[in-house]
Amino acid sequence: MSCTAGTNAMKGKKKKTAGISVLTLLPLYLFTIVFITGPLIYMFILSFLTRAETWGVVNEFTLRNYLDILEPIYLKTFFESFKLAIITTVFNIIVGYPYGYFMAKLNDKWKKRMLLLIMIPFWISSLMRLYGWIIIFRANGVLDRILMGIGIINEPLKLLYTYPAVAVGMVYALLPFMIFSVYSSAEKLDWSIVEAARDLGAGRWQAFTTITLKMTLPGLMSGVVLTFIPSMGLFFIADILGGNKVVLVGNLIQEQLMKAHNWSFAAALSVVLMILTSLMIYLYRRITHVRDLEGLV
Amino acid sequence: MKKTTGIILVLCIMMGLLAGCGAAETSKSPAKGGTLTLFTWEGMFPQEILDGFTKETGYAINYNNFDYDETMLAKLQAAKGGDYDLVIADDYIIETVIAEGLAQKLDKSKLKNYSNINPIYQGQFYDPNDEYTVPFGAGVQTIVFDPEQVDIDIKGYTDLFHPSLRDSVGVIANYRVINGLALKVLGESYNTEDISKIEAAGEKLLELAPNIRVIKDDNLQDDLLSGEIAAAVMYTSQVTMAKMANPDLKIVFPSEGIGFGIMAAFIPSNAPNAEAAYAFMDYLLRPGIAAQYFEWLGYYSTNRAADDYISDEYKEFLTLPSDFAGNTEMIQMVGAEAEEAHTKVWTKFKSAAGQ
Amino acid sequence: MKNRTRLPDIFLGVVTVIMYLPILLVVFYSFNESRITSVWEGFSLKWYRELFRDKAILEALVNSVILAVLSSFSAAVIGTLGAVGMTRVKLRSNGIIEYISTLPLMIPEIILGIVFLIFFSLIGLPFGMMTLVIAHTSFCIPYVFIIVKARLAGMDKSLAEAARDLGAGEMRAFFDITLPLIFPGIISGMLLSFAMSFDDVVISIFVTGVNTNTLPLKIYTQLKTGVTPKINALCTLMLGVTIVMCAISAYIGKKYNQKRLNEEESL
Repeated sequence: MSCTAGTNAMKGKKKKTAGISVLTLLPLYLFTIVFITGPLIYMFILSFLTRAETWGVVNEFTLRNYLDILEPIYLKTFFESFKLAIITTVFNIIVGYPYGYFMAKLNDKWKKRMLLLIMIPFWISSLMRLYGWIIIFRANGVLDRILMGIGIINEPLKLLYTYPAVAVGMVYALLPFMIFSVYSSAEKLDWSIVEAARDLGAGRWQAFTTITLKMTLPGLMSGVVLTFIPSMGLFFIADILGGNKVVLVGNLIQEQLMKAHNWSFAAALSVVLMILTSLMIYLYRRITHVRDLEGLV
Repeated sequence: MKKTTGIILVLCIMMGLLAGCGAAETSKSPAKGGTLTLFTWEGMFPQEILDGFTKETGYAINYNNFDYDETMLAKLQAAKGGDYDLVIADDYIIETVIAEGLAQKLDKSKLKNYSNINPIYQGQFYDPNDEYTVPFGAGVQTIVFDPEQVDIDIKGYTDLFHPSLRDSVGVIANYRVINGLALKVLGESYNTEDISKIEAAGEKLLELAPNIRVIKDDNLQDDLLSGEIAAAVMYTSQVTMAKMANPDLKIVFPSEGIGFGIMAAFIPSNAPNAEAAYAFMDYLLRPGIAAQYFEWLGYYSTNRAADDYISDEYKEFLTLPSDFAGNTEMIQMVGAEAEEAHTKVWTKFKSAAGQ
Repeated sequence: MKNRTRLPDIFLGVVTVIMYLPILLVVFYSFNESRITSVWEGFSLKWYRELFRDKAILEALVNSVILAVLSSFSAAVIGTLGAVGMTRVKLRSNGIIEYISTLPLMIPEIILGIVFLIFFSLIGLPFGMMTLVIAHTSFCIPYVFIIVKARLAGMDKSLAEAARDLGAGEMRAFFDITLPLIFPGIISGMLLSFAMSFDDVVISIFVTGVNTNTLPLKIYTQLKTGVTPKINALCTLMLGVTIVMCAISAYIGKKYNQKRLNEEESL
């Protein structure tokens, strides 16, 4: 009677809501299909073409580019990129998670200030900030002077153009991503739940691991994704702070494009990088069983 | 919080739009004589030269930049030789530009100051009959070292391999130059297509790797001046800056052989305003202007008439020494297989240097 | 909150100081008389003077700001709508589209740049601000999308449902309930996008047009001739402007809130 009429009316309304919701998907779908799939398909095709003598490609199918990747020296670059990405992500979590978490606990006034404080460095050219790090790390630079002044060391550390310098630079560049992601997730946390748990007798650490950590997990995960992915491809930090001595896949791709003029090999390298990175994210998702980031490969 | 962030956003957008309108006013308004669309690296000219040109000829300058010659070629190809009026780039890429039909032959009657060019920089491999280009700077890669930090007397590339220089040598990130360094030590040509020779050079380079502290192109002279490295293989412009800052540094023309390079200007085949290009080249060929240009740039003067105008403190750096007897060779593009061998060698070298 | 230690504040303080250290050095060396950073030749404003004479750089700065604003805005709209839509409507194609839209992050910029260059020439788009915005939006969308989606994931869906049960239309439920809740996520994504776009050089070099120069482009292409402290001066000024703008907006916000409080009190 009136019940069925009610449910039918609800069904009608649900149909309407579904309709409008689909509209919200439209911009993303359109943009992705037109402007991203197109170039990507071209890149894919490029990786199967043969290089011309000095410049460009000819329309000849070949698997050579992919086979070339199996050279030990090139495989090593993938390994190096992977290693650096893991190190960067781990340190990013160590520094970035507490930062985002503490930030979310501040009062409103300070929250706003901190958000801006973190953003402002980002609007200064990353190249210039790297030069700043060079000044800090170089022999008798800022770091050396401070440490020698306090008396911890007697000789310059010679940190510049070493692997640790690169790691610091990478973490520095990607930290805001982690901070923002964690903050975004932690900010909406209902602290009263945590207080309730504490009132019920849970210790600080226990309350943290069972409630806070779980509820900020989406933020942490998206932070990991936003850190890991770029650090696989970033290479100019390794170039500048590492003195070009750390060879990553990104450097290799740039060299193949710009110096060796081997576009198709560069495309093949990029495709492989893309697949590997996607695989990493997929595995990561499976291992951590996070259902909340549904659909995120 | 919503309100304040909203206000910041609005302010940003307003500022952007206002400034955008302001800039549009000044730039889009066509200058009296039209516009010169220049395409080269940033920072090639002191502002006085650019402003002087505009004031004198009425052409506004639209200064476009690229980072690598290869980027320039990719963009020029995409534009089918159009969009740009004047391009200044490295010698080897110009050979490809001409081969791809992207440059137009020069009408020398439009260049009154053409005779100022120093002939030894003409008739080179990339433009044997000087039909397409005008040289605007030349350089060699030399070894520079700090005698206070280095015990041995460096005379050539071979000395860089000395164990006393462990972890204290810097080189530019130019793979042809550095691979070429090893090739020269083995007595070969920079441009050999023989894979076995290139691989032998690679093996030799691995011996140099423990001495390498840094490989980079930009501002390498800073590392020499700050004491990070004791010896370096650098570009001419960097050598100039280093020596001006520290006159005690020693410059060495390597005994094994020297890589020679020229920067030259050409007009793309479909340049929208070729007249402006001719005007600029002619202006830059004037002795006084050219001297200013080379002093700013730090590369060798390719303009004979300008040599007299260069101030004394720069003269040493901007002209090849009169008793110069080294064997020079220009680095040219090599075939695909040789390129692959080169990049493999280079990658192994960098990786070894990082251990 | 009970017994808050000073530890969190100390941590935040130390990390923030370290974050700003390189920037302070950039500012410091903008006043260096010498062109090279390894030598300090005394205090000087000459690079500021040079900066103001270089109209091209200032124009490039303006272009960069406009580009970043447009890109982050488009990314915010497309990304947010996409994230919200995907949470509500479970189409099978959602997963694939989501994956593809985040691919620009996984591919090194250099190859992305060349591929965009060729693609845009193939479909005949004129190179300039438009191609720049499209290319920049493509690598900004993932930031907004991922962050907003994470925020939505933990959101209480029953709130929006309750609103609709109470009779609110779809749009109203979105604007009044969902949007304010995910707003911090959108803002985070936008700010990150702005920074990414503002700093991008590799993709920009390939897809820009002849009349559109961006700031990072000018800076990076100086590498062959050596980056001059003119850029330090520019960065210092930008830092100053940003700080001033934030201070102004904070001041305006405070006054606005004050006014509202007064109005409420007088009721």
